Amino acid sequence: MKKHKLLRKAAAFLFAAAVSISFYGETVYAEEQPYDTYNYDYRGNIVLTPAAYVPSGSVTGLSVGTTNFKEPQDLCVAPDGLVYVADTQNNRIVVLSEDMTQLVRIIDSFDRNGEADGFNQPYGVCVSESGYLYVADSMNKRVVILTPEGGFVNIIDNPRSEILEEGFDFIPIKVTVDYADRAYVISKNAFEGILVFESDGSFTGYFGTIDVKITLWEKFWRKIATKEERSKQQLYIPTEFTGMDVDSGGFIYATNIDSDGVQAVRRLNPQGKDVIQKGENENVGGDLRVYTYGKYSGPSEITDVVYRGKGIYSLLDRKRGRIFTYDKEGNLLYIFGGLGTQEGTFTTPVAIEVIGDQLIVLDAYYGAILKFGETEYGSLINEAVGLRYDGDETKAIEIWQKVLKLDENNELANSGIGKAYLTAGDNKTAMKYLELGMNRKYYSVAWKRYRNEILTENMNTIMTVILVLIAVMIVYRKFLKRLIKEKRAQKKGLKEGGLIR
Amino acid sequence: MNQLFSKSKWKYAFYTVSHPADGYYEIRHRERGSVAIALLLVVLFSFSFSINRISASFIVNDVDPLDVDALTELVSVLLLYGLFCIGNWSITCLMEGEGRLKDIAIAIGYAMIPIIVCFNIGTIVSQFVAQNEEAFYWMIMGIGVAYGLFMMLIGIMEVHNYTLGKTLVTVFLTFIAMFIIIFVVLLFVDLINQVYSFLYSIYQELIFRA
Repeated sequence: MKKHKLLRKAAAFLFAAAVSISFYGETVYAEEQPYDTYNYDYRGNIVLTPAAYVPSGSVTGLSVGTTNFKEPQDLCVAPDGLVYVADTQNNRIVVLSEDMTQLVRIIDSFDRNGEADGFNQPYGVCVSESGYLYVADSMNKRVVILTPEGGFVNIIDNPRSEILEEGFDFIPIKVTVDYADRAYVISKNAFEGILVFESDGSFTGYFGTIDVKITLWEKFWRKIATKEERSKQQLYIPTEFTGMDVDSGGFIYATNIDSDGVQAVRRLNPQGKDVIQKGENENVGGDLRVYTYGKYSGPSEITDVVYRGKGIYSLLDRKRGRIFTYDKEGNLLYIFGGLGTQEGTFTTPVAIEVIGDQLIVLDAYYGAILKFGETEYGSLINEAVGLRYDGDETKAIEIWQKVLKLDENNELANSGIGKAYLTAGDNKTAMKYLELGMNRKYYSVAWKRYRNEILTENMNTIMTVILVLIAVMIVYRKFLKRLIKEKRAQKKGLKEGGLIR
Repeated sequence: MNQLFSKSKWKYAFYTVSHPADGYYEIRHRERGSVAIALLLVVLFSFSFSINRISASFIVNDVDPLDVDALTELVSVLLLYGLFCIGNWSITCLMEGEGRLKDIAIAIGYAMIPIIVCFNIGTIVSQFVAQNEEAFYWMIMGIGVAYGLFMMLIGIMEVHNYTLGKTLVTVFLTFIAMFIIIFVVLLFVDLINQVYSFLYSIYQELIFRA
């Protein structure tokens, strides 16, 4: 109930902001994007921000001189810059040039030891660092490995192992490859995790299983339910992974749809352990505040992730068409994107990739690739976060200052500047910025140093005052005691003299 | 009202803090307490609470300053105080408690003294602590609240001449009574509303027809 009220407040605020901005003429930015750009502050309130990315055109099959894409499901940017699109319903892979204006080639068949072979609904596509093309050929139940030109290399199919249950159906929908040419495959209905294949195509096991969450309450009901009732209840199965990307260190970023909206992405180390950092609000699941009923209610449904270097990664939400960008520490950097029919909005976003400073998103329904260009705001944040990732906090401070000029309340910028001042030894200024950035931990450090500073500076005065006070007290006491004694003696004398009773 | 300026009454309030059992006994049997002072203390507590929420240092304070409204807090503290006193009084009346409503009000009111003192000391101390010294702050606050609750318990016990066990039972029943009171009040308000809207619609009907 409170959530809803806050959201309504936020909506009212958004509206008011939009109105007030649109009345200012000239430098209007809010109108230029077909979506809201916002972020969440320390307390989880929605704060409007400048746009980090703006739409900068789209690419369809027609625009590059071929037939339109039909429900394309995945795209991949090769190390050499070419863009590979899995054109699922057309059963082909379309290769576009670096700037996505020209068609390089179409791969719809390959020569398999003298036999012509083709794809049946290729769902996922990936190009390895060594340049090989991996296609998740879903309905043929195999992953095809080709040279970039379309020459046959190998096929991964029919994984055999004791850990696979009888009659396991291998329907690969997403594939990614790490530096050692290990293939990570998401298969439909494989709830145990990601399937890992060695470079020779042998199945080694599952990877990164998502634990099933059962609440105490559900456990209790299962306990008291009869066998028949239990068989009718839904099974508690983990959610499937939806998308993957691999970083240069071989860590796999894998997304899943989290019904709690808390953790929609995992960073899996080579052992398959999740090592993601969750940041201040303990959340890497997209939107923090959501409606509880209605068409666009419920937590974000993250379908894909792209690792963008320097610890930055972006998540693609298909529920509300938003793109959430996080840094290595799990801080939410910026949010943009939305559903709709205007240019620059999505209907069914399925995959996200990065080309240089552009983000590209594949929309399955439109059959189009939407491009988003970096604004000054976005590039400044990326740069500052990158510098921080490299440990160059002093250089980052200048860039954070520029971010503050565009977005005064940016908590990351404030706390970044605060930290830099702290390293430089200006504790008081550091405290100011760290409080604005709501960074309690570093604020405390700054305050401790500042307190010591004050104490050492004023030690002489403080000690003098204390000594003087003690001296005064001693003198006063002695004097007072004598006075009291005298008075008592006087009284006694008077009493004895019968003057008072 | 004169009691507010009576030196002996004020002195006695502080005597109660240091000697809760004796203090509350005499409040019941020798009229040494003052309702006016008790009310003032409750108001002071409400202010200390608001001050603590808004100006305790950033290090220990996670309250959104926009959420703090001293007036609403005052009203809710007074309402809660009144509700507890009436609830306790209505329960103890049935359970052979000797205390009058007046005594209960004083017992709760005087128990605010340690809480007020510790909240304010805590607010000041918070300005000097760093994050790893937070414990001092929480200790001060904790001691204040714990001693306040202890005084309330002793107060209710002495005022009604109960044993400890019986006191705890009545306190528990008091909370139930409070819920019942809230329920009845809400019910009543709703009924009044309905009667009002009924009469209002009759009035409107008459106006439109005339």
